[in-house]
Amino acid sequence: MLLTSKRYDVDDIMAAQEFYHGRGWTDGLPVVPPTAAAVEACLEWAGMTPEQLVGIEPVRERAISAEKLAINAVMAGCLPMHFPVVVAAFTAMLQEPFLLHGATASTGGCAVLIVVNGPIRGELGMNGTFNALASSDRASTAIGRAIRLILCNLLDARPGDVDRSTLGHPGKISYCVAEDEENSPWLPLSVEKGIPAEASAVTVMAAGAPRQLMNEWTTEPERILDTFVAEIRANMRHYSIYAGNYAIVVPPQLRAHFAAAGWSKADVRRYVFENARIRRKEWADCGKGAVVGSRGEQEYAGLASEDSLLVIAAGGPAGGFGAVIPPWFGGKSNAVTMAIGACFDCEA
Amino acid sequence: MSIEILDPTHETGAPAFALAPRLPSLAGKTIGIISNGKRGTRPFFDAIERELTEKHGAIVVRRVKSNYSAPADAAIMKEAALKEAGGGWDALIAGIGD
Repeated sequence: MLLTSKRYDVDDIMAAQEFYHGRGWTDGLPVVPPTAAAVEACLEWAGMTPEQLVGIEPVRERAISAEKLAINAVMAGCLPMHFPVVVAAFTAMLQEPFLLHGATASTGGCAVLIVVNGPIRGELGMNGTFNALASSDRASTAIGRAIRLILCNLLDARPGDVDRSTLGHPGKISYCVAEDEENSPWLPLSVEKGIPAEASAVTVMAAGAPRQLMNEWTTEPERILDTFVAEIRANMRHYSIYAGNYAIVVPPQLRAHFAAAGWSKADVRRYVFENARIRRKEWADCGKGAVVGSRGEQEYAGLASEDSLLVIAAGGPAGGFGAVIPPWFGGKSNAVTMAIGACFDCEA
Repeated sequence: MSIEILDPTHETGAPAFALAPRLPSLAGKTIGIISNGKRGTRPFFDAIERELTEKHGAIVVRRVKSNYSAPADAAIMKEAALKEAGGGWDALIAGIGD
């Protein structure tokens, strides 16, 4: 396997840290030194050649090779078996609806949320239960971090360079969650998006930070969703009024009430679509009266359609919590779902 | 024992911006302005337009992107081609604002 990246010699693992930090090639955390052997192991696992073209970022016309993805994945702490998820996630991000350059350059400061579905979650030991949205398990953390390092090193999305975020948020270190399909009465997100149930898949979304909510004082689906809807409305009032992809994360305690009432994800999406709406004049309640103009009575929907809502089953077993994850900015970037890898061992 | 490690960057170097050749005069020239369309660009480009037309005798064409986070629309880029490339503009100013 012929790797063509430039090679450097350093004295030891500590010297490697300083070498990468000193060049701005990390996120500030230690990295695993990407040796040729480690990078080749990733490529072999995914059945990819080093020069294989994963895609071209259209704005900067930058070709992205499998070798460069693998180097960054190793640095982030990925094992070879994690690498196909990284490839699928970045391939999804390169699709036109995702608007990769805008999402990663914007002052809005979103991160790339990665939702993993399918059997690969079990193979990688991913945990969609306790602490599901951050440092839940090794694979989730490393895969999310790999995407950030790839953006920094291959598209120059470092703070102050192409990344012009005013604030950003902690999800920019790593933002990857495996859906808890085993404990859910619902269809997996990927299946809702048309991927066969037996396949593994990723969904990527240009996403703001999670906004946590709580309602453990009702069992009625409508009242539970009213709390989620209120959080979406708050985001529309305080941040951006425009419709886009929202994700909601629903842990088991609340999911049980939906299951008991026979509510599917489609039912949830329909209720949220119909109710997550505000009037423009509400901006005046939160200091934005200057931009209400003459259209105060105009109604705005948080979702362009029922399909714009991503419903994710994840979270630990106890607690009537949930989260709303808002879009970067309205509908400028759209979530993309993509199957992971190909079945190299399958009989034709 | 030393470790041999690999370069994680694209290694191609960021393409440098090059200034366009200076026009000998702006008088009678068509200057295109492509705005990202954010609110703050309006008074700024209004002032630029006044400067170019009133002080220098230029003709200003202003175009606004349909999505301020995305590259300029294909129709704008087609129109924006400089005269030597078959377009109608002698120079263009691409500006972002917030």
